[in-house]
Amino acid sequence: MTQPTAITPATKADRELLGFANAAEFAARDLYAIAAASAAFSDDEKTVLTGFHDHHRAAAQALAGMAGSIATNEPAAAVLDIFRSRLNGSNKNAILEALRELENTLAATHLSLVGALEGTGGAALVASILNVEARQSATLALLGGRSLNDALTNGAAPLSLGAGS
Amino acid sequence: MNRYSRRSVLRLGGVSAAGILLAACGKQTGVEESKNVRSVGVVPEAEGLSNVEVTDIVLLRTAASLEYNAIDTYDAALGLGVFTGAFAAASDIAQRLRDDHRGHAAAINGLISQLGGEPFTCGNPRLNEIYIAPALALITDADNENPALDVVVLAHALENLAAQTYQGVVTLLTDQALRQAAMTIGQDEARHAAVLAQALNPGLAGVLASVNATTGKPNVAAVPGAFGPLTPISVTVGPLNSDGTRSTLILETPSLNSLVYPDVTCA
Repeated sequence: MTQPTAITPATKADRELLGFANAAEFAARDLYAIAAASAAFSDDEKTVLTGFHDHHRAAAQALAGMAGSIATNEPAAAVLDIFRSRLNGSNKNAILEALRELENTLAATHLSLVGALEGTGGAALVASILNVEARQSATLALLGGRSLNDALTNGAAPLSLGAGS
Repeated sequence: MNRYSRRSVLRLGGVSAAGILLAACGKQTGVEESKNVRSVGVVPEAEGLSNVEVTDIVLLRTAASLEYNAIDTYDAALGLGVFTGAFAAASDIAQRLRDDHRGHAAAINGLISQLGGEPFTCGNPRLNEIYIAPALALITDADNENPALDVVVLAHALENLAAQTYQGVVTLLTDQALRQAAMTIGQDEARHAAVLAQALNPGLAGVLASVNATTGKPNVAAVPGAFGPLTPISVTVGPLNSDGTRSTLILETPSLNSLVYPDVTCA
């Protein structure tokens, strides 16, 4: 019996991509921090938002571990700019919808990274994060009262590599 | 008078016993050599696995088989007619998820054909045998008080299993485009699992990881952690046993003994 080869490490090109993902995840962390501070949400809702905030922080830190010195460990300004203005106000469902779109955007981005990363170690980490963000998107759709179809589909486009700075 | 002391007799006896034992272990003329470890009774000949490779096609055929496991399970669940009353909405969800799995199976089998492999169009035989058939038997047991709930529990477990399987094969597939294709479906399965988790444990309390204060076991959660797990999945279904507990099955992602190699066919 021939078994597959061992997990392969990240290449230099991989580390660039993982560093980009690191910045995008830190931006998501900061966006959840803004949402969790909103008066629109109850304490129980804030607990969930804080939980998702922590997941993005953990993802960013894991990506930093693989990206090495290339990781900036700073939030991607372009990602903050896209979503930050949509987290203001008292319309709870509008904020949940913005966060759902954030999750879908990150999921689409990570999906494209899985297809671009050469080393299987980095691809496995990104796939692991992708599955969680898909779950978070589906959950936000349900909490926001959206349809089953909205929970199950992702129509977002991935971030381009330049959006990391 | 005895010419042998007690010590001499014991020493002589020990030497003799060792000689008999060594003789028994040695080759005997006229006796056919067995490949088995020497033992009492008849031992069947060891059968090794055929010389197979874990290729991209094998991994994709395995993924396709899981899709059919899910399709069959949803069909069985819908056929039971248990989605009534409080579970009426579950019927719509089950039909939608089944249809998604049909789409996934077609997509995966399309990839297999492109790679020159033979599409696989039935459930994984090994997983059927060890997980799904026993679970359905427990669920449909006449003494089971809540088969509708148990069907959702099984479906949730299978969606988690599928999400884990696609995530797991990312490290095994040699082609980057195939890894992306796998995770395109894998994230769908993760969404399925989250939706079913909310059906089982609705609302805010069912989103993040938590523990049942009474049982000490983890509650069903839509997003149980920061990273997609690759851990065994426990499924507790069926009627109460005589000791007051219910049966628990432990599901694991396909391994070397449940991959769909080229010689595995749909019966």
